[in-house]
Amino acid sequence: MSALPPITRAGSIYDLGYRRYEGPRLGRAHAIRSLVFHSFRTTFGIGRSGRAKAAPIILGAIAILPAVIIVGGLTVAARFGFQRQLDETDLIGYDNYFSAITSIVVLFCAAQAPELFGRDQRHGVLALYFARALRRSDYALGRLLGFMLAVLLMLLIPMMILFIGRVLLSTDIGGSLGANLPRVPPVIAQAAVISALYGALSMAVSAYSPRRAYATAGIIALFVLPGLVAGIVIGIGSSTIGTWLVLLSPNTIIDGTDALFFGQSLGEEYFFISLPIWAFLVSASVEIGVVVALIIRRFARITI
Amino acid sequence: MIATSGLTKVYPGGITALDGLTVEIEPGIIGLVGSNGAGKSTLLKILLGLLEPTSGNATIFELPVATRGIEIRELVGYMPEHDCLPPDMTATDIVSHLALISGLPRAAARERTAEVLRHVGLYEERYRAIGGYSTGMKQRVKLAQALVHDPRLLLLDEPTNGLDPAGRDEMLELIRRTGTEFGIAVIVASHLLGEIERVCDHLVAIEGGRLLRSAPLGSFTGRTGSLAVEVEEGREALVERLAARGLRVVVDGPAILIDLVDEAPFDIVRDTVVELDLALVRMEQRRHRLEDLFRDGPAAGNGSGAAGSGADPGLAESGVAGSSAAAAPPAPPPASGR
Repeated sequence: MSALPPITRAGSIYDLGYRRYEGPRLGRAHAIRSLVFHSFRTTFGIGRSGRAKAAPIILGAIAILPAVIIVGGLTVAARFGFQRQLDETDLIGYDNYFSAITSIVVLFCAAQAPELFGRDQRHGVLALYFARALRRSDYALGRLLGFMLAVLLMLLIPMMILFIGRVLLSTDIGGSLGANLPRVPPVIAQAAVISALYGALSMAVSAYSPRRAYATAGIIALFVLPGLVAGIVIGIGSSTIGTWLVLLSPNTIIDGTDALFFGQSLGEEYFFISLPIWAFLVSASVEIGVVVALIIRRFARITI
Repeated sequence: MIATSGLTKVYPGGITALDGLTVEIEPGIIGLVGSNGAGKSTLLKILLGLLEPTSGNATIFELPVATRGIEIRELVGYMPEHDCLPPDMTATDIVSHLALISGLPRAAARERTAEVLRHVGLYEERYRAIGGYSTGMKQRVKLAQALVHDPRLLLLDEPTNGLDPAGRDEMLELIRRTGTEFGIAVIVASHLLGEIERVCDHLVAIEGGRLLRSAPLGSFTGRTGSLAVEVEEGREALVERLAARGLRVVVDGPAILIDLVDEAPFDIVRDTVVELDLALVRMEQRRHRLEDLFRDGPAAGNGSGAAGSGADPGLAESGVAGSSAAAAPPAPPPASGR
């Protein structure tokens, strides 16, 4: 048992009384850090009911599954000496893993982003945050950053499994490390763009629509519709409008930055685009900037 | 401690919540009374910087609300009127999280969370999800989160909302202890004067966004109270006997109302009922109604609009000095059955 403080008043020994807090107050930066960490935890359902953990666990498992299967396959192959052939077939590798799990990431965003901004608004928790020593934009950015980090982790874990599996299962670990290491920076860059763009967009939708169901539907629509519309428009024959839609649609932006970071050319489906490939990175940055500004504006104006 | 001048808030849509409110408030336990829609919540939110006033200004601890909001909110704890707790978190989790947001280091946040939750009377329940709490428990958590960062000033918006009589008594006792024993200034907004007069030492009454009166509690009481007495039979005889002993008695439905100037009527009624051998059903002190305040106060009338400390001499006297003991009305004796 820890030592009890001296009892200053007559009364029950169980009543330790109220004590003043004389310690340090760490200010806004500490508040934002705490919010980031809390949002990160909440996104994965940590510190919440079992039901809240279901969606992140299931979606996270699905996102990791391909990596596990690949590493499993590599293990079997290493056992029977088919290593070389398998390395060369390379069905899902670093560069196309993200596009393989895009729909899972979208579902993760659609399910979990409303848990942060939506929940705080529905249950009136905003009043408790805004009555504390931080700015409203601090709150918005802290929550947003925490969510982006959660998406980032969700993207990087399968890549880490892939990386470790490939290196350790290789007969020549040193050589394999040399072969795999150069892929790390593009993987991290691409994961950062995806988590920032998807995170900002889905958090913006949930900031403006506190109702959970609407937010989830809105996020899915936001990710799916522009791509569909772009396809139709191109089918009709307008490559100008099609180009704009491709530069706006989050999924196609991600395809562009993927090609940029991994040093490839754009896929054939983007034949009508006559822009330099870094245009996708610019459009990702602009979109993230605009959306973050919209989120900050929402919480600056909201009345509680 | 708090000073507002010409504070006006007009909501979009033209509803005027505050109308040129000018008031000065000194530390203590202050009751902010007014009917629903009088502007109490709006005033608290403006003081916290949650709302921007349309015009006028306010300061807390000499800090202007408009520009020093963050410093002010570091010193203030706020308990909102409405539900504000996420149902799937435990009391411990939400309170310690909010302590971190207030700038407390992690270890201190955990320690103070345990302390304030114990202070408000939550023990084992604090590890359960808030969704399963009773209203009374939720109100306690709301009070705990307002206290966790050890504020200099507490702003409580209708803290007894939704509580049963026992819960109200406990909440009021908590507020009284917080204010008197810990030296934290408290502002309690309520539309139930009868309730907050039990804990406050100073009252600020507002109506329609204007100041009606700001004075120590003592100057409000003693004038408008009445004692309601109900007996099964023989009411006429009782009225007659009481009137004969010099009390002002009015028949009001099944009850008779006796003007309370001091504590003497309690004894007189008791003795008279015994003498007449009547069956006493009820004997209670009637709470003042808000309107009474506005009719009978010495400063009523000139109090509205621009009443500062000059308009009401009583205001200057109210300070930290605990007038609470003297001001608290005598507890009504329990109604005796037969």
